[in-house]
Amino acid sequence: MNSLSDGPKAEAITVVLVEDDAPTLWRLQDALAKAGYQVRAAGTLAEARACLAQGAPKVLLTDLQLPDGHGVDLIRETRRRFPDTEIMVISILGDEESVISAITVGATGYLLKDAFPTDIAATVRDLVAGHSPISASIARFIVRRTQSTPEPPPGPALNTTKLTPREIDILWGIAKGFSYAEIASHLGLSRQTVPGHIKSIYRKLEVHTRGEAVFEAVQQGLIKL
Amino acid sequence: MNDHGDDVQPELRGRARRRLRSSRLIQYLLLQAAITVAGVAVLLQSLPGPPTQYQVTAFQLTEAGAERAVTLPYFSPLRNAMNDPPRFRGHFVRPAGEASRAWSVFLPRFTNGVEVTVNDVVILDSRRDPAANRPDRNTPAIAVIPASVLRDGDNAISIRLFIWGPITGFLDRIWVGPDEALRPTYNLRTLVFVTLPVVFSSWQAILAVILGIMWVMRRHEPAYGVLAAAMAVGVGQAFLQTPMDETPFSRFNVILISSAPIESALVLVFALLLSGWKWQRYAWIIFIPGIALALAGLFGNQALVRALFLILAVPMVGISLLIMAVVTARSALQRQNVASFLLGCAVTIMLTCWIVDLLSVFQMMPNRIFTARLSYSAMLVAIGAGLTWRFARALNQVDGFAGRLVTQVREAEEKLKASFAREEERARAAALARERTRLMRDLHDGLGGQLVSIVALSERGNGSAGIGDAARAALKDLRLVIDSMDDIGGDLMLALGSWRERAMAQLRPHDIALDWRAVTAQGLPVHPELRPWHVIQIVRLLDEAVTNAVKHAEARRITVRIETLVDADGLERGCITVEDDGRGFEIAPDGGAAGAAKTARGLRNMRSRAARCGAELELSSSAQGTHKGTRVRLTLPHRFPDSDGAAG
Repeated sequence: MNSLSDGPKAEAITVVLVEDDAPTLWRLQDALAKAGYQVRAAGTLAEARACLAQGAPKVLLTDLQLPDGHGVDLIRETRRRFPDTEIMVISILGDEESVISAITVGATGYLLKDAFPTDIAATVRDLVAGHSPISASIARFIVRRTQSTPEPPPGPALNTTKLTPREIDILWGIAKGFSYAEIASHLGLSRQTVPGHIKSIYRKLEVHTRGEAVFEAVQQGLIKL
Repeated sequence: MNDHGDDVQPELRGRARRRLRSSRLIQYLLLQAAITVAGVAVLLQSLPGPPTQYQVTAFQLTEAGAERAVTLPYFSPLRNAMNDPPRFRGHFVRPAGEASRAWSVFLPRFTNGVEVTVNDVVILDSRRDPAANRPDRNTPAIAVIPASVLRDGDNAISIRLFIWGPITGFLDRIWVGPDEALRPTYNLRTLVFVTLPVVFSSWQAILAVILGIMWVMRRHEPAYGVLAAAMAVGVGQAFLQTPMDETPFSRFNVILISSAPIESALVLVFALLLSGWKWQRYAWIIFIPGIALALAGLFGNQALVRALFLILAVPMVGISLLIMAVVTARSALQRQNVASFLLGCAVTIMLTCWIVDLLSVFQMMPNRIFTARLSYSAMLVAIGAGLTWRFARALNQVDGFAGRLVTQVREAEEKLKASFAREEERARAAALARERTRLMRDLHDGLGGQLVSIVALSERGNGSAGIGDAARAALKDLRLVIDSMDDIGGDLMLALGSWRERAMAQLRPHDIALDWRAVTAQGLPVHPELRPWHVIQIVRLLDEAVTNAVKHAEARRITVRIETLVDADGLERGCITVEDDGRGFEIAPDGGAAGAAKTARGLRNMRSRAARCGAELELSSSAQGTHKGTRVRLTLPHRFPDSDGAAG
């Protein structure tokens, strides 16, 4: 999100944009269209499903509160049908309540609704280039969950047991506001490997199936068999 | 240590223990021997007598029909001589000119009764004095001779000695002389042999009451009950009278004779119980002599009782004393028990007196002063002292226990308080998190969405960029409020991380670079006392600094330095510096900015925010030179204040 990179030409890149608030939808659509993306807009869950029926998009940007359903279901379906599609949540506040639940079903980061048009385009470009953005507040939420507490902290459920110590160190660095370069030098990594680690973190936080969810619940001691 | 060490060590320890025990035994025995020697030395001292010039010792004795000359003191071989008592006839001389002074006859010691006649007039019959009738008491007798009976020169004195057992008769030397010369000796003997026993008997009565109450309150300790019974028997024995005449009640009086064996049996049982012995049924044999004597008193005659007294009561007392000496010695040595030790010493004193008394009965002593009963007072003193000692020790134990209890309760209370505080803190954090979630949802559903719409609409209209900026600023502030409510565990760096993102998003459209420098590796120290309102003040202060740089300074680059400073006392303090390369401004003498009123207000806000958090704010700005620009330096406190009271 904070790194601008020169991606490939954007003509062929399709973006499905799901947002029920019309002015916000226009705004985002404008920003993306001006950057050269091919945008399919939808205002409801049903419209979004119709858009997806036309074929796999490269990117799915979706709001969570939709008039006829929840964006989380859309993300889960898309992730299952089109594993190569990059998914991002459109959020007003970038709060973990909405973002984490989206991450656990396959989203990779979020886009703020009031972001400047240039930032919107840059974020999508980075996403397509394989750079998954992660914000300091989301990193903070994840690393706070890795610390052992006597009772489960409030907020959405999150399983961090699969994260490696190195990945947790990277998250700490991001949460404290360090740049990728600073984190890499602190941890003795190459700067280029940090986005890969972040992608891996997103994948590890994802709960793929119902069976896996049960297994993880047992692992965490939430369920006793 | 080799393989044999484990076998050798206990043996060595056992030997050391045996050596210690035997040395203690020797010490104890030596002490008891010293007590015995001292006791004998005291008993051999003869009591002071009146001037020897008034002593009358040469008498003509008529005994069992035979008449002969004797010198007092005289031991009669008879055990019973009531109808034909031995009669002593003698003379004394009253010098001329003594008529003005009262003359008396003083008989310091006799068994069992005397009748004194001067010049054929009876002046004293001791049988009417119950105390004098008891052979175990050394009651003296004195009688003033009526002046009319006396004459100058030679006077006749005659003494009849009544003997009724159980021991043989005895008459000590007598004195006849001025009353003032004889009376002091008489008074001394009365004090020692009459008054003192009464005092001790009173003491015994008090002990009986105390021990009785103790036993009633502590029924599981029968030792106290037994001792109370012994004391009660002793008191009854001391204060009940024994008339000489055969009356219908004299049979009951005769029970008193059995008091000595019963009392000694009770005291023996007490000593056994005190040493940890458990009551056994066969132990009733201890009481057989006493009961036999009592039955004999009820159903037999006095002669039988007196005969039995010698063969039952006296040995019973001695045997009891011997057993007690062994038991108390063992108890004193094994348990290192002060009460047993005192009792042991008292038993030694009593045993010594008992043996001396026995020798005196068998006429192996020059005189006949019985001290066994008197020495019983040593036992009473020991019992009183032992009781007090046990009571004091029990009180100390209670105090110690109470003290321990108080400490434990205090510790438990502190633990509970700490756990309450922890629980409260956790509940507070949970409540805050719940509130934050609720607020977030509300803002998400309402205000947030509306603000986003305003931003979008203002951008479409193109003519109202100010509205869009304001809406965007409102959204930014909303995010800050939500963010600062998150539990960051006292690590301000986590709040600064989010702030950096927001600041970068704010600066990007203005093409201002944000240079982020964490000078020290860990960034800022962790403050467990950090609260959301501290965070919001600090972040808004930093926002203000950045906004000033954007709006007024025309800066191209903003540098944020984060470091931990260690002051002279070794205390760590965080320090955040925001520096721009903008125009700078003149700082007025009052600390505010000269010129622009808006900037001045911004600076005042920053100062107030810093003061509320207990932080120090340092502002420097220069409009010219190579180092032009503004620098805001915020030094965080070592400990954040609990309340907002520092607002200024």
